[in-house]
Amino acid sequence: MISVLAWLVLGLPLLGCVILSLWPGEPDRRITRVIGVGFPAAAFVLTAIIFVTLLGRDAEDRLEIATLWNWVQSDGLSIDLALQIDPLSVLMMLVVTGVGSLIVLYSTEYMEHDRDYRRFFAEMGFFLFAMLLLVEAANFFFLIVGWGLVGLASYLLIGYYYDRPSAVAAAKKAFVVNVIGDIGMVIAAFILVRELGTLDYGEVFATAPEGLGAETGVATAVALLLFVGAAAKSAQIPLHTWLPDAMEGPTPVSALIHAATMVTAGVYMIVRCNVLYELAPYAGDLVAIVGAATLLMAATIALVQVDIKRVLAWSTVSQIGYMIMGAGLGAYDSSMFHFLTHAFFKALLFLAVGIAIHALAGEQSLDRMGGLRRHLRLTHAAVLVGCLSIAGIPPFSGFFSKDEILATALDAGTLGTVLAIVGLVGAGLTAFYMFRLFFRAFWGPEPEGGYAHAPHNPGMAMSAPVAVLAVLAAVGGLLQIPGVWHPLKDWLEPTLLADPGLEATTGGELIVSIVSVALAIVAIGLAYWIFVADPERRLRLAGAATGTRALLTDQYRFDEVYEEALIQPGRDLGDTLTNGVERYGVQGTMEGVVRGVIDTGRGLRVVQSGLVRGYVFAMVAGVVAVGVIFSLVMR
Amino acid sequence: MSLASLAPLVDAAAVGDPQEGVPLALYLAVSGGLFLLGLLGVLTRRNPLLLFLAVELLLNSANLALVGFSRYWNVTDGHVFALVVMVVAAAEVVIGLGLVVAVFRQRLALDVDQMSSMKG
Repeated sequence: MISVLAWLVLGLPLLGCVILSLWPGEPDRRITRVIGVGFPAAAFVLTAIIFVTLLGRDAEDRLEIATLWNWVQSDGLSIDLALQIDPLSVLMMLVVTGVGSLIVLYSTEYMEHDRDYRRFFAEMGFFLFAMLLLVEAANFFFLIVGWGLVGLASYLLIGYYYDRPSAVAAAKKAFVVNVIGDIGMVIAAFILVRELGTLDYGEVFATAPEGLGAETGVATAVALLLFVGAAAKSAQIPLHTWLPDAMEGPTPVSALIHAATMVTAGVYMIVRCNVLYELAPYAGDLVAIVGAATLLMAATIALVQVDIKRVLAWSTVSQIGYMIMGAGLGAYDSSMFHFLTHAFFKALLFLAVGIAIHALAGEQSLDRMGGLRRHLRLTHAAVLVGCLSIAGIPPFSGFFSKDEILATALDAGTLGTVLAIVGLVGAGLTAFYMFRLFFRAFWGPEPEGGYAHAPHNPGMAMSAPVAVLAVLAAVGGLLQIPGVWHPLKDWLEPTLLADPGLEATTGGELIVSIVSVALAIVAIGLAYWIFVADPERRLRLAGAATGTRALLTDQYRFDEVYEEALIQPGRDLGDTLTNGVERYGVQGTMEGVVRGVIDTGRGLRVVQSGLVRGYVFAMVAGVVAVGVIFSLVMR
Repeated sequence: MSLASLAPLVDAAAVGDPQEGVPLALYLAVSGGLFLLGLLGVLTRRNPLLLFLAVELLLNSANLALVGFSRYWNVTDGHVFALVVMVVAAAEVVIGLGLVVAVFRQRLALDVDQMSSMKG
């Protein structure tokens, strides 16, 4: 039964997308709403049934492979169209369909003024299908298929406002960067096929310890190539530049794809391949270092961004950095825990901030906000919950999940200690930039010249999802309390085939908790002192450290370096090939051949004189000549 | 010379003895002469009607050679070929005279040198 349900969960959003796409004419908005929300919601209900069913079974019994048919049959390689239902994929499916349903419900009102209502919901349905394929796949082949399809969905939705050149450019950038990651994954799959002769998760993970060997070059190469894919999808250095630009998409898209689900696919993949990363400890260390570097870099950039969605985007990059760091160190369950809570509080933040943006008719600049708490009371409360959660203030969810990663890191040798300190610094920065956003948008004075549009409170379709997410963000952390219980870890146990046995010590937990909470409170106080206590202070401080601020505003100039080092040379090469090789080589050759044919024809024209007797004479002369030659040769 | 004296000759022809009767060389000489006449006509004449007559000479010289060879080798293939050539010649004359009439209807000069609108 679980097999059928798994396929239905995968198929329902796709079915909704197909129905909406093929609907003759422009469907009534009510129909669009019912289909756009109903199918993902149904998928969520079915996922919940799967979850409950698995919950009722023994821990060793929670793996189910649902094979439809054989997809590829080749010499020494067989790939089934199959889904794998196990605790890890069910966790991902719950978040994807659950948060996804809330966000499409929210979108019904948010996108109300858009003329392309139907296209939005069709593309959202397509994204959910692709994401579910990614998490449900039972082999690397369909993982990569889903990986590519979410990239396509992301491209379509970032470029949703296709008449805005910046949106089109952002979509293109996201697609190109993600394809770099796809290439890494595909090459990793090639190596797996060559070394192990299979792409099936179960077989790969069972045979990898012998087939690849521990700490061998092959194992490291596979782990690193897979991480290229993860870095591109999850916006880690150096492939992170597309995510902030992706904020060109509508806010619900940012919440669903570029915060809660798709960008965490890299974390999912590393956790899924935990066996491979345990075989390649150096690759794992590199992953952790990249994650830590990303989280620190993104947190500093978020300090100075003025576009409210860009702050959240960099915050997402930073939070995924935590997850990647945890996964690289082997704290797989902590990473998944942070993924879960992050899905709640970051979706909450995006949707709540979306209400503010919607209320101000699309205004995204913090400079044009301020004092919104007087107009949007409930939204203000929701954002506060999100900010407290991400800042790691107990008992909100971010406190438990972030501290778990940091405490586990503290326990993981020298490298872990260094990274834990980086993470703590990042936590302080996180609290500061989130409360900077909060205070600047919702507290403080109203902007000079008033708002772009009189703020109005949202309707039920937008409020309800925010309320649900606020509750989840507030209490979601209680799922795993150190020293009390850890149901999530127990749930994921069967999936984590290579548990490195990392366990945060109680002492470590205590140190991390105290330090991170203290840092967060200091940071919040600082934000209050700068942005609320005296509104003039912000302007006075703006003159200080302009160089650093410019560097941060320019996001460490990654884009400029890529432009200089990669894009411009590529363009130059293209120009050279067009103007040199193409124009003179290819086209020149073709024109030469054509001219030769024409000239030959022109030369031969005189022979076609129209004089019949001339032809006859030529024929006779030819016969005579042949006769003479023959008679001479035959002699 | 009485008819009786011709009998062996006729008999020889009837049994097909190639060594008897008119020798092959004579056939070929006449054929070659006709061919030269026809060729000369084709090369020099400008009137299409006379051109056709010359072409007929060419064809018939070939026929004569075919029949001569046929008799020499004592097989009938050459006769069959000669008949086919006659049919071809008849068909060619039909088309040719049709062209001549068409040209005449246009009141153009009957001069093959001037019929050259298809030249390259």
